[in-house]
Amino acid sequence: MEYFSPDNLDEAYRLLAQYGEDAVPIAGSSFFMGHREDLFDEVQVVINIKRLGLSYIELDDGGLTIGATTTLNEIFFSELCRQGAFRVFSETVAELHINEVKNVATIGGEVCIAGEVDMPVTLLAYDANVVIGGANGSRTMSMADFHRGYLNNALEIGEMVIEVQMPRPLVATGGGFAKFERTAADLPIVNVAVRIALDTDGTCKEARVAVGAATVTGVPRRSVSAEAALTGRQLDDQAIAEAAEASNDIECIDDFRATGELRSLWVRCGVEDALKRAVARAQAGE
Amino acid sequence: MKLNTVHLQINDETTPVNVEPHWSLAFVLREKVGLTGTKTGCEMGTCGSCTVLLDQKPIFSCLKMAVDAEGHEIQTIEGLERANGAELHPLQESFIEHHGMQCGFCTPGFILAAKALLDANPDPSEQEVREAIGGHLCRCGTYVRIVRSILDAAERARAKIGMEVAENG
Repeated sequence: MEYFSPDNLDEAYRLLAQYGEDAVPIAGSSFFMGHREDLFDEVQVVINIKRLGLSYIELDDGGLTIGATTTLNEIFFSELCRQGAFRVFSETVAELHINEVKNVATIGGEVCIAGEVDMPVTLLAYDANVVIGGANGSRTMSMADFHRGYLNNALEIGEMVIEVQMPRPLVATGGGFAKFERTAADLPIVNVAVRIALDTDGTCKEARVAVGAATVTGVPRRSVSAEAALTGRQLDDQAIAEAAEASNDIECIDDFRATGELRSLWVRCGVEDALKRAVARAQAGE
Repeated sequence: MKLNTVHLQINDETTPVNVEPHWSLAFVLREKVGLTGTKTGCEMGTCGSCTVLLDQKPIFSCLKMAVDAEGHEIQTIEGLERANGAELHPLQESFIEHHGMQCGFCTPGFILAAKALLDANPDPSEQEVREAIGGHLCRCGTYVRIVRSILDAAERARAKIGMEVAENG
């Protein structure tokens, strides 16, 4: 195995293109080292991307931008991710109770893994766009287009994720995150992120309901039915319960962590729980 | 085999080591540097035994590429002893007093995670202590005593600082 630690993006793109499928970009290395038995035979070249200046969190009129090598704890402690509608980002990190992983794992890594982790479901609920960099310039695509399956995404040879961008939420927006796992340090069995924007008359102007960890595709998905059940309505307990019920349009996977049936139940519970929080926050005008 | 020479800053000493890129920091600390206080249990980021401090922050050394640890300050459990000379660290004292262990295999990891917590927050709540050790397993199940040890160590450290402040006026 060969190791490179480039200090500029052009060099990183050149190395990624040169070594192609034999190479992986690495930042926190927690996933790579944790899956050594599967990955060490496949990977010939490791490219450390931590010196490329991709650790940043910025908020401007356009929205929130987080660089790919920003660690989960940097997000957790960032004031920008602790207030207003973006506070769900900090709350999502808080639900992973392993400080040692949060100090190294990066948002770019979680975006590329897609399943088994929490951040992508929150990114999906916040209409995140993934910015992909390469020698020929960068391109931007939605999370839904980026993910093709577990560990499978739209990256071409010579490319890597450089940042994620979230548009600034509408006024009167609230978000919520909910998660079920076996122990505090285990991988999620179900995770849910929602975002609600209210109109001036109190009806729901925009709704996002995203479900991760439980899906058969291995990547987070939006529940179109739950979103439709919310949009245009006054969000009382009845509307929230109906939306939670409608979230069973997400087909859930059976595996050793939980049956699909149990997951469907927990998706419903998680959606209801997260929606209640989100609606209360949106109504409070946060 | 391609070896990279890295200069690791371990417990305030610079140690040159030849490493392969996929060697974990835990492996290098134990097998190449001889610091066996860092324990390897699961070697996949589940148990917490291999925790070391990297720039004062706890990380799993089994999930860290040694080659990527260059330029950072690494502290292992051995460094705790050296930093305090003959005296034990308040955490070590209270883990002994409250017997915050049974077999002791997980103890270095717990102590370093607790040290990072206390350095950042000298007066943590029980919830904050439990949160800080969330990624650590003790297969003997001595969590209650571990939490008690850490809370007591925090108190000892605060008392000690209080005494020093009083002495120095």
